[in-house]
Amino acid sequence: MFKRKPNLAAGGPVTEAIEASPGLEGGAGANAPTLAADAGVLSAGARAAAGSPFNSKAEAAGLVKTADILLLASLFLITLGGYHIHAMLTMGDWDFWIDWKDRRFWPTVLPIVLVTFPAAAQAYFWESFRLPFGATFLVLGLLFGEWVNRYTNFWGWTYFPISLVWPTSLVPAALFLDIVLLLSRSFIVTAIVGAMGWGLLLYPSNWPILAPYHQATEQYGLLMSLADLIGFEYVRTSMPEYLRIVERGTMRTFGKDVVAVAAFFSGFVSILVYFWWWYVGKLFSTVAYTKEV
Amino acid sequence: MSLITETSPSRADAAALSAATPVWDPKPFIIGTVALTVFYIGVRIYEQVFGWYAGLDSFSPEFQKYWMTILYIEEPTELIAFLGLIGYLWKTRPNDLDTVAPREELRRIFYLFNWIFVYGVAIYWGASYFTEQDGTWHQTVIRDTDFTPSHIIEFYMSYPIYIIMGVGGFVYARTRLPTFGSKGYSVAYLLLFVGPFMIFPNVALNEWGHTFWFMEELFVAPLHWMFVFFGWFMLSVFGVSLQILGRIKELCTGYEDVVGLEPAE
Repeated sequence: MFKRKPNLAAGGPVTEAIEASPGLEGGAGANAPTLAADAGVLSAGARAAAGSPFNSKAEAAGLVKTADILLLASLFLITLGGYHIHAMLTMGDWDFWIDWKDRRFWPTVLPIVLVTFPAAAQAYFWESFRLPFGATFLVLGLLFGEWVNRYTNFWGWTYFPISLVWPTSLVPAALFLDIVLLLSRSFIVTAIVGAMGWGLLLYPSNWPILAPYHQATEQYGLLMSLADLIGFEYVRTSMPEYLRIVERGTMRTFGKDVVAVAAFFSGFVSILVYFWWWYVGKLFSTVAYTKEV
Repeated sequence: MSLITETSPSRADAAALSAATPVWDPKPFIIGTVALTVFYIGVRIYEQVFGWYAGLDSFSPEFQKYWMTILYIEEPTELIAFLGLIGYLWKTRPNDLDTVAPREELRRIFYLFNWIFVYGVAIYWGASYFTEQDGTWHQTVIRDTDFTPSHIIEFYMSYPIYIIMGVGGFVYARTRLPTFGSKGYSVAYLLLFVGPFMIFPNVALNEWGHTFWFMEELFVAPLHWMFVFFGWFMLSVFGVSLQILGRIKELCTGYEDVVGLEPAE
């Protein structure tokens, strides 16, 4: 994680050089350590007295690796918490239930609200470390939290079949976002191409799971999808079903292009949100201090 | 003179002892993680048994016995634990931020990693696990009071616990590490515990809205969006990590080839 890539000038990112990245430009320790010129010769006590924190090169390498692992694990858990609470309260209902995974709001809302944290994570991992996995890192965290919950609570506590409450698959879209950043080395290109792809990929990457539930069925003279039928049969006692507007539209009444329109609109807004949240990521990467609170 | 002759050997001894002691002690990390996880698994089993048995009618005597009792016990316990922990960390703080030896400082940085990781575990259980769990209980079973079985665990148990961990880590860093104690307050670290902390008082808004506005549970309702706003502050772990890594980088002077850094100019 500490490694800095030396060839940033040629073919570097459009954004800014890593030399301007704040975090690795020095900490705030009171005592700068002295150079351990010959760590292999001095005794441990002498090295400690000389100001080096390490007893040997092997210890230094091991501790730095341990620091990386501990930090990445902590980042995973803490950003998981933030991303999950953000996700469940901005798009959760569309993600919880099979009948909410419609072709209008689900592909519109999810990409727009979910591109936020991945964009911020890309700003952090790419600008500070040149690591191109920020989006996938965050999405894996979110999916971990969601899958554990759907199994142990939605199914384990309130007994909804897991096939009716599976979380939306986001990995293909996140990989696309990261790959665009890796190849372009530009957050502007990633915002325009990557975030548009992020929006477009949601529906096709989930279609193999969702397709069986969008089979048409006629019940008591009414035409509906199998997912809608399941939603009616599995009663959710405290949920305001009447707030959900199912399949209402204008042109879609005569056509079948709902998903594509929703996905392109979602991708368009995702571009704008990506720009915004890239800077949110930079904002939260601050290494500033304040004298008073 | 006598003081000098007595102190010099002890300093050398201290340096030798410090060099012989491992920098990272994983015991707090393991104990904290295992303790929280085992505790919450026990809580989850309790929910499984007594959620359906005694949690469906808040007016029933069983509800008072099996659920409200937990509420009455957990809140003062958490307050006492919070005050005790912060008081202990403050009382035992060393006054050596200006003179702390690099190896001791590195040891404290790794101890802070323990704090931050366990904070992450507490955040996971609170903000992820028990928060989404609340959705399925309220949407599909019942929400007939502000103190439902899922709320008693989520809002009043798991949130205070992660607050205790977050504030504890901050106070540890503030009192033990020059990076967080000598240059003022780290903005990122302040945001890292203040943001998630504010989710807890925001429960007041949530319950007011559900009590007087609409009782049903729609998770994406605007009433819930302040939770979202405060959840964003968990991203401040980015800034905290950069501050810690910046200091570790300085401490790695002389070992750049080992850790993959360019030598300082």
